[in-house]
Amino acid sequence: MANLVGIYAASHGPMIVRSWNALTLACKGAITAGFDELGNRINAAHADVLVVISPDHWVNFFMDNLPAICVGVGETHAGPPEPWLAAYPHQQMAGHAPLAQHIVAQAFARGFEPSVSYQLALDHGFCIPLWKAGIAPLPAIVPVVINTVEPPFPSVRRCYEWGAVLADTIASFPGNTRVAILATGGLSHSIGEPTMGAIDEAFDRECLQHFATGEREALFRFLDQRMQGAGNGTAEVRNWLAAHGAAGARGFDLIHYSAQPEVYVGCGFASWNAIAAPETRSQ
Amino acid sequence: MRDYHLSKLFFDLQTPAAAGEYRAHRDAVLARYALKPEVRAAIENDDVATLAPLVNAYLLRFYFLASGMPEEEFLRRIRATASKAHG
Repeated sequence: MANLVGIYAASHGPMIVRSWNALTLACKGAITAGFDELGNRINAAHADVLVVISPDHWVNFFMDNLPAICVGVGETHAGPPEPWLAAYPHQQMAGHAPLAQHIVAQAFARGFEPSVSYQLALDHGFCIPLWKAGIAPLPAIVPVVINTVEPPFPSVRRCYEWGAVLADTIASFPGNTRVAILATGGLSHSIGEPTMGAIDEAFDRECLQHFATGEREALFRFLDQRMQGAGNGTAEVRNWLAAHGAAGARGFDLIHYSAQPEVYVGCGFASWNAIAAPETRSQ
Repeated sequence: MRDYHLSKLFFDLQTPAAAGEYRAHRDAVLARYALKPEVRAAIENDDVATLAPLVNAYLLRFYFLASGMPEEEFLRRIRATASKAHG
């Protein structure tokens, strides 16, 4: 059966690329250090496939149809359409249709009904971490979109449970494929709102502490009470929750956190160093 | 409450070609969308405060970037909506 060889999370703020040349050395240094260590850990895992969990920032989906969860089952995925990401090195990225289809089929058998897409373009949420972490060679990508952009959003509990299902479905994939999970987005930020530019560092640090403690119910309560008030972009912490669920809420290891107002984001980088046994994920 | 047609306009303007056409021929582009008169007027007046409640905040921010409003000016206007809301 396939091996889940690593679980990671990283912020993906667009200004990290759009405004890079204008950032202070301190800001660049903090972000670079986070991405470098993240990349070292991902590259060391030698994954054949990377399941990347990110929002869709109005690239593939509109209000005609906004899936709560969508799995990219295509043989390939298009690179980022944002003009300011023209230098991104991959215009196309290989997918892994057999694993993606397996995840979807097994999810339906386990109480989740994700939508599927045979043709996704992967926006900055996917591509900035892949690029800036220096992941090479780039594994095949199975993109998983969780809607954290336009309400209604899946609940925090549901996102955690989706991560647990994701890990279980990966573990039941035939063969010896090495699979890693990378969740992107967050931590606190506010875009296009009156609070735009604000970072709720107190929220971020308490949130990270909850991830480290590993008490799920306390984490869910905290997020239900505080996430909405920490900025619209903070909804992307749902992706971290999916990663946390995949790890069975164990082994959280913070690589770096710093509030970075220059890129509008509380920047976080993390991995989970204990891959949970299947029976611990759903408890 | 979202305004679908306003949202669709902002969504469609994400490609450089569409944004370029919009800047060159704004009236012609706006005519393709079933916009309420007051919404169209808000667009024509760069009225951030009126448009903000009608559209997703990411699309709002993107639209004003694409239409050429400097980031600092957008920030000033969107932050002012909070001041108005709180009297």
